[in-house]
Amino acid sequence: MNGTDVQFAICGSAGDGTIAAGDILKRTMALMGYKVIAFDIYPAEIRGFGKCISRVRVTTEQAYSLKHQSDVLMSLNDAHAIPHVGEVRDFGAVIYDNAPIARLPEGGHVSAHIRPMQLPYGVSFRSISDRATGNARGRNIVALGYLAGLYGMPAEAFHQTIANKFATKPQAVTDANVRAFEAGYEAAIGTFKLDDVVMGSPLHRADGARAVMMTGNGAVVRGLMDAGIDCYFGYPITPATTIMERLAVEMPRRGGRMLQTEDEISAIAATIGAGYAGARSATATSGPGLALMAEMLGLGVMAEVPSVVIVSQRGGPSTGMPTKTEQSDLNMAVFGGAGDARRIVLAPTNVEGCYRCAGLAFELAEKFQTPVIVLLDLYLSNRYETVIPPKENPFEPKQATGPQGPVFRRFELTESGVSPRAVPGQAGGVHTITGLEHNELGRPSDQPDNHVAMSAKRYRKLEPATRYPGLTTIKRFGAAGKVDIGILGWGSTFGEILEAMFEAENEGISCSAMKVVMLSPLPVDELEAFFADCRVVLVPELNHEGQLATLVSGTLGRPVVRLPRATGAPMRVDEILAEVRRLAAETAAAAE
Amino acid sequence: MTESLHYVVIGSGSAGHGAATTIRARDPGARITMITMSRLPFYNRYDLPKMFKGVTDWRDLLAEDPKIYDELGITLRRNSRVVDIDGRARTIALAHNEVIAYDKLLVCTGGGPNVPAILEDYRPLMHGFGTFEQASATVAALPPGGQVVILGGDMIGLDIAFNLLEAGYRVSLAVGEQTFWPHRVEPDERAVLLKSLAKTGLDLIEDRSVVAIEAADRPARRVHFDDGSMVETDIVMPFFGILPIVDFMLGAGIDMERGVLVDPALKSSNDAIWAAGDVCQIWSDVDRDYRFYHGWKNVRVMGELAARNMTGAEETFDTADESVIEVDGNGCIRSTFWEH
Repeated sequence: MNGTDVQFAICGSAGDGTIAAGDILKRTMALMGYKVIAFDIYPAEIRGFGKCISRVRVTTEQAYSLKHQSDVLMSLNDAHAIPHVGEVRDFGAVIYDNAPIARLPEGGHVSAHIRPMQLPYGVSFRSISDRATGNARGRNIVALGYLAGLYGMPAEAFHQTIANKFATKPQAVTDANVRAFEAGYEAAIGTFKLDDVVMGSPLHRADGARAVMMTGNGAVVRGLMDAGIDCYFGYPITPATTIMERLAVEMPRRGGRMLQTEDEISAIAATIGAGYAGARSATATSGPGLALMAEMLGLGVMAEVPSVVIVSQRGGPSTGMPTKTEQSDLNMAVFGGAGDARRIVLAPTNVEGCYRCAGLAFELAEKFQTPVIVLLDLYLSNRYETVIPPKENPFEPKQATGPQGPVFRRFELTESGVSPRAVPGQAGGVHTITGLEHNELGRPSDQPDNHVAMSAKRYRKLEPATRYPGLTTIKRFGAAGKVDIGILGWGSTFGEILEAMFEAENEGISCSAMKVVMLSPLPVDELEAFFADCRVVLVPELNHEGQLATLVSGTLGRPVVRLPRATGAPMRVDEILAEVRRLAAETAAAAE
Repeated sequence: MTESLHYVVIGSGSAGHGAATTIRARDPGARITMITMSRLPFYNRYDLPKMFKGVTDWRDLLAEDPKIYDELGITLRRNSRVVDIDGRARTIALAHNEVIAYDKLLVCTGGGPNVPAILEDYRPLMHGFGTFEQASATVAALPPGGQVVILGGDMIGLDIAFNLLEAGYRVSLAVGEQTFWPHRVEPDERAVLLKSLAKTGLDLIEDRSVVAIEAADRPARRVHFDDGSMVETDIVMPFFGILPIVDFMLGAGIDMERGVLVDPALKSSNDAIWAAGDVCQIWSDVDRDYRFYHGWKNVRVMGELAARNMTGAEETFDTADESVIEVDGNGCIRSTFWEH
């Protein structure tokens, strides 16, 4: 990548202000006009001393994921940072507190683990903070100031971000933080810089003024809001909770309704109820919540009720790893529930995609009269990216509903499979709705021919969804035509796949990548074409089994090479790249 | 099963590096830790004058590929300052509050610049050349073809002076007692040596002592002498010899004078502590006294010798080795100090 491409990692303990420092850094970088991708890792425990890491990648060109190596590591807690020293590249920097209070055994200080080709910077964060503010609480901001000073970033931009961050607190809080920042900045000015990390100027962009920092969950909220959400029902669960928290603030302002229900079953029931009543309604949850929602989702499918379910995956099964990322709910999202309950499942691959998918989910749900699941994961939900919000609202308003003809057949077996729909209260729209199999009028029927026809209808009606206008359901990147290696991916992992593919291309490997956004129904034609073009298809994903690999190979009857990883952390670019190299070598050897 | 010994080497310069690699060669199972205040892996300080000729990236000055530490299993602790040694407990305390235990310790911390008391207050106005960082700051402060005043003129300073001249800078040398340090030069020899120096293009300032240094605009410094004269210059560099860095050893419980006192095998009065290089004073049977043996070659030899003795050898440093400075047949100064 040309231009600036620097990744900072800040590592500390819960309570050290690690995430806060990373937040100020990424917001300032975005404010300056850089492109930013950031992701925080934090412990599941609300209180305590768990590890927090904030990684911020700052670029002038578009980046697609975090890098597997950071350029700079800043330690606010050595015990937590020591395992991450190895992620700093050669001639990158490790910044740490060189005056810890506690006596340390050999190897207890981070400097003991800095490798010969990494550059150490010891600073007394604590004493500098003490001198600047009268206490050591600002040492994270001192560290941030040091980092900014070392790499020549403008202090004024940080002042502005600090002021914004503490705008709701007394002015003294902002002042103290600015003093801490300045003290750290000043300390860096007297430091001889030895690493080769360079922060170039941000590129001037005409749309720079409109760029905003947003998480995947933030983008989901924005998408739901722009699409005109009427009702939200939810029960808190990591990592989806922030969606509800934000909507709880935003929806009353717009005349919408937000209700925290007693559990996830209630949330999905209310969502389907509101959808049946004609409202644009949604809920959000994670894997365990989706498991509870499975029965009601079946009702939504059977009763053909528009509804939107946002699912942010985390490590599972069961309570699993609430604050760690994973892509292991694909099977449940696509197949979960009783019976042949096909529904639409979308999996955005980046923050901008979260916005699009969330908003378009309402359109799809109404157009195809079915629940739509938008499948994120913790990495995407919490990942920050700079995005350019659209100038105009891209989403269509609610479709008009109403009975047609003298006899209203709510579940009429049309050619498309989509039947006329009426909401309660519409004249002539009287019909029966039930979770039982039913006839065209909605009345219960377990006649074999009827069940066959209705099942076919519920599948048939979703086929056009793969070509829904304005929605990228599948897309190929890199070389067109025949290639040696194809990399197929979904969700948050696709950023890493793209980075790996670009590196592989630079190495001369014939490769191409394809992202699958619509997991159900699958865009089979495009997948077939991709498989036909690739000698080998690799499927990296964050689960143990390789769920997309199973889905695609089962659907197409084609072999794939799986690269499943379930570590709780995002996929590593170098792991994908290593596998691509291996496959390329094998392919080349086989061709000889 | 015998546990491997932990060898700790304080200092990562020529002596320390030579010692660590020697220990590894002689004791493959040993744990070896090098501790240094430097933030860089090992580079030869005598290569620093290359910076006057445009070599400004520290990676181009490295004496060894940094991968060697991993390959040899040597833990390199940089940016770490030793603040105390407990010779009985065999532990080292670092400034950042970490304590390291050792079985055998080698001290090769070398020396820092000796600045006369009268110039102590002017340290911020002078440029050093002992580390890469100092050298970088010096180079950055020098305009092309700029003027340098060297005070004192020890053998390190003279080497730098010649490199400055070669690189097109103008150099004045304020001659003093420490000119030609560490060589002990008789008056008649001194006259010959100074004459040779004058022929190199150095502007010699003789029979005057510096009393003050003043910051100015352009050039950036004014050097005032005791006869009321003043010289304008871009930078001022003090070279009055070096002082051993031993302050952290005051609590070690070993014999010290200006440096660490060691026997010809380089062992201190503590059986587990050795010293090598500019930090140690070695007992000389000839002089019946402890003496420093400076010079790059001596330093390297001492480091390796100490390492061999720490790992079982019983060798002694040749204290009869005399330092020599003379003017050769071409009129150039030749010094054993510069041999490396």
